[in-house]
Amino acid sequence: MMLFGLEWAFPFVLLLLPMVLLPWFNNNLDKTVAWTALVPHDPLSRTISLTLKVLSSVVIAALLLAVASPAIPERTVERFGEGAEIVLLLDRSRSMDDAFAVTTQAANYAVGGDNSKRRVARTYLTEFVKKRPDDRFGFVFFSTNSINLLPLTYSKEAILATIEANSLGKGLSDTNLADALMNSALMFEDQPYRGSRIVLLVSDGGQLMTDEAMELITKRYKEMNLSIYWIYLKARQGMTLEPSENDNILYTDLPERKVHEFFKSIGIPYRAFEAGSLEEFAAAMDEIDEQQYQTLIVEELVPHEPKSDWFLWLALLAMLPLASSHLYSYWGVRKAHE
Amino acid sequence: MSLSYPKRIFLTALVMLISLLMIMAALWLPEVDREIEVMDSLFVIDITDSMNVEDARFGKQTINRLEWAKEYTRQSILSMPCGSHAGLAIFSEARSLILMTPVEVCTNYHDLMQMLSQFHPTMAWARSSEVSKALYTSIRQAKEITPQPTVVFLTDGHEAPPVHEKLFPKFTDTPGEVPGVIVGIGGSDLVPIPKTNEFGEIEGYWEINEVMHKDVYASSRGDAAELNNNRPRTEHLSSQKKSHMETVARRIGFEFISSPKSPQHLIKEMQKISDSRQQPVKYDLFVWLATIALILLVLVFLPYNLFANQHD
Repeated sequence: MMLFGLEWAFPFVLLLLPMVLLPWFNNNLDKTVAWTALVPHDPLSRTISLTLKVLSSVVIAALLLAVASPAIPERTVERFGEGAEIVLLLDRSRSMDDAFAVTTQAANYAVGGDNSKRRVARTYLTEFVKKRPDDRFGFVFFSTNSINLLPLTYSKEAILATIEANSLGKGLSDTNLADALMNSALMFEDQPYRGSRIVLLVSDGGQLMTDEAMELITKRYKEMNLSIYWIYLKARQGMTLEPSENDNILYTDLPERKVHEFFKSIGIPYRAFEAGSLEEFAAAMDEIDEQQYQTLIVEELVPHEPKSDWFLWLALLAMLPLASSHLYSYWGVRKAHE
Repeated sequence: MSLSYPKRIFLTALVMLISLLMIMAALWLPEVDREIEVMDSLFVIDITDSMNVEDARFGKQTINRLEWAKEYTRQSILSMPCGSHAGLAIFSEARSLILMTPVEVCTNYHDLMQMLSQFHPTMAWARSSEVSKALYTSIRQAKEITPQPTVVFLTDGHEAPPVHEKLFPKFTDTPGEVPGVIVGIGGSDLVPIPKTNEFGEIEGYWEINEVMHKDVYASSRGDAAELNNNRPRTEHLSSQKKSHMETVARRIGFEFISSPKSPQHLIKEMQKISDSRQQPVKYDLFVWLATIALILLVLVFLPYNLFANQHD
């Protein structure tokens, strides 16, 4: 329950606050005096007695407030950090189950093993996410229809669990790249611009897109100030995204190349990393890591802070003179009765 | 009984001293470890077309089965003690697809809910609903996760295409190795199943001639022919398939609960079947110490003379 800007774990304890009046109604230490007129008028004693009553009330009040367990509620604060907002677009197609960077013919047919492209991507992305404390990550579910599965979040645990889940089980039959790219952009819609915005695509292939889709993507990505990083997991060692002199004739019309051409034509920051080996994959991740440290507004969730200690300190400060005065009286009375 | 003056002075001084020590202890005593029982869970939610049927009772409302499943999942996650873990998965076609491995429920509540709210029939990658096979895959995948979660499978139990009782897909794992609960959703009357388009909008209903009414495998087997012939053609309609889910649950060693009223029902069931994990949490004793100090002080100031006077 909220009261006075604080959150109280046991607010009903506050109902006992009238108990602070107890010391004023009653004093069990009153000595029976036959005739009160005999007691000399002593302003110092009166002040001391008044002070002790106030102290007693303060202690009772402070303890009640402490027991009610107040806390400053959880809140978000904005601070400047360094990093980026990154939407992960991980290919979940069947081909990602194939082994990555194989050297032997036999390994080509090992599906879903520990070195499948999907698992390799998981390993490196996990490392990447862990290295970047201030980044916000989002995750797009990339299937027949894509869905913005995990909107941009600061929770490392949530994004890592989503990346981990992506590596489990087998791939899906159908993926729709154009739809996934559109949805990635949607993640940033209606969001204030906090710092660099990246769509990180990890895939082992490309797909032909309709002109209509390409036009829409171009418009969106430009408007929203997005950058694209593409980690392309090569299936064939010889194939490159850029055409070269001694190209295999089969490579010229591959959808990968078309997608690469398209990304270059959008007119936004774009980098492609062609990973043909684990080393190249790691190097690509490192390069992205190095480049993307720009000022970023970070919203930080400050967890709720218990504040009972304030009141315990107050109780202690009032209790010290109170207890000493009573111990002193006890010592005095004992002496008098000896 | 009344105490002599020196005695009262002595007792008061003693109480004050103890109170003082209690307050000091409340401030400086280190936190103690306490064990709480936490659970690890994996919620698998059926997102097939039959989940669009609006026949799930939620309090006084009737909502569609998928909404019910999502709301029940939300409430269950909310009812788990902090330190528990929950993961999310969807089921379509013949498999369960894990989308988030279990994460701690309190710190990640917001993200869990964000993801849960995205679950929608458009995520389905194929138009079939093979519940039993999906259950098997959920078990296989739960085994890959450490600590191994208890599977909570929320479904109406509708198999499409239907399976013949005698030609059940084979379960190759050990029943009960992975604990789990099947939560049955939906009413008991057969109702038409809405058909959704690629945008998830409902466009009419599945017609009697658009779905299979027989087990594909059984229809090709001579010995099962007469069993098949007498089956009613009702597979385009859907209700909560309680007896089917009970059978599957028995086969794989899961519990089955039908349309539970509160999340506590599920949590009790989960506690019963899974080895709960003890998680140490830091526990501050200050509330107790401050309460003792408070009670002692109040004892000093209680108006005893009021009672005493009455007796005089």
